[in-house]
Amino acid sequence: MSNWYKNATDTNDIAVSSRIRLARNLKGLPFPSKMTTEQRIELNQKVKKAIIESNTPFAKSLKYIDMCDVPDTQKYAMVERHIISPEFAGITEPSAIILSADESISIMIGEEDHIRIQVILSGHNLTGAYDIAEQIDSLLCANLPFAFDSRLGFLTECPTNLGTGLRASVMLHLPALEWGGEIEELSNSIGKIGFTVRGLYGEGSKSAAALYQVSNQITLGLSENNALDNLKIITTQLIEKELEARKKLKKTELEDICFRSLGTLQNARILTSGEMMNLLSSVKLGKSMGILNIEASPIRVLIEAQPYMLMQKYGIMEPQDRDINRANMVREAFS
Amino acid sequence: MFCEKCGKNHATTHIKSVVNGVAREYNLCAECAALYGYGTNSLTGMLASMFGDITQKQDMMDMKKCPVCGSTFSDIAKCGKVGCGECYDVFYDQLIPYLKRVHGSTKHIGKIPNNAPLVVKPKEQTVEDLRNELSRLVAQEKYEQAAVIRDKIKEMEAQTNE
Repeated sequence: MSNWYKNATDTNDIAVSSRIRLARNLKGLPFPSKMTTEQRIELNQKVKKAIIESNTPFAKSLKYIDMCDVPDTQKYAMVERHIISPEFAGITEPSAIILSADESISIMIGEEDHIRIQVILSGHNLTGAYDIAEQIDSLLCANLPFAFDSRLGFLTECPTNLGTGLRASVMLHLPALEWGGEIEELSNSIGKIGFTVRGLYGEGSKSAAALYQVSNQITLGLSENNALDNLKIITTQLIEKELEARKKLKKTELEDICFRSLGTLQNARILTSGEMMNLLSSVKLGKSMGILNIEASPIRVLIEAQPYMLMQKYGIMEPQDRDINRANMVREAFS
Repeated sequence: MFCEKCGKNHATTHIKSVVNGVAREYNLCAECAALYGYGTNSLTGMLASMFGDITQKQDMMDMKKCPVCGSTFSDIAKCGKVGCGECYDVFYDQLIPYLKRVHGSTKHIGKIPNNAPLVVKPKEQTVEDLRNELSRLVAQEKYEQAAVIRDKIKEMEAQTNE
């Protein structure tokens, strides 16, 4: 298995990725925002011991990384790859991450909650992602005393995560709904029934490249399976609506946009992140609808050409130089 | 229209919240809206605002502290974040209305960790339990105790209907 963005298929690709996050805390320790440095170090070691030293075959594929040893560029490149949250990258106190080789599993230690188990897979695969997260949770559960209350479920720092601690999300590529102006109305209706629609980089981020993350909001009073089923129903409906909207697009205009976008990506010498994302969205749509016959995966290029991902590869540089390097990289990908 | 909170200034901020399909609307003046975290982009402020009037009342009511992390309820209400797992037990009654507003429910349904004690808290009495108790007391002609139970049932039913 490889990283979600490298594995992204472009056939039925409206659902780009599926993510599961479980929030867990240990009994008897204050939640992270009230923890002392010593307590944070103790927490890191406890979680490390519970997983890495569990001697299960599963644990052998995981690696413990002390975040203090990770340079900022790499931390923010991890954010761009959706492995860690922007908040976690900004923590200056001791924190750690347990990561699988393909980065589909990332366990953040000392984020908003003591433990945040995250599984991210490509495509529409919430069940697959939840099954993996559940296994990790059970392993941790067997070795660590979790803060749990029979009335309120898993106890979390923010009461919005209380109960199952489960936040499931699917990232959808919805260009036709965005062009038709339907996305705002759909987001509002979805919001009324306990779901959230966010941009590419989660909380507070704006949508880019017509990528939207749809996630559950309610975690108390609803079982994990029900929450996942409800989300699957919503995302399936959104996919159907996007397909319907795509059918209504005018053929020549659509082809014009797709070919022009590809042309710019293949020829530009300077490319800002914003411009690239818009163009990649059209190219992704064109590839998905059989208009463009290209090998490269637009999602992979989109992630690999993000600012910190570029700097991780080519070294720290000014935004202007980044735009030149981005253009070079993108030209090569689509040549 | 005047502000619903202070009743002095004109309401300029209209807030609509929907939790589990239940819609609530508030009309506030700019000052009160800011006090409750609206008018800024701060999520923390918005979360804190969902604690509503409790914050102000709580400051005066009690200064009970969590024995594990030392948080008071007003600390929690101000930042919208809970100090530790124990806080949920210490401030259970105060947190319930907030949880109801956020999730539309106050009862966990879902995974129970293997090592969790089967019953952490004594089972809460349901209205059904109390009715059985009431019948038993009436049958035993213990009318004074029965009256207490009857009032308790009324109280619970009123809470459910809120």
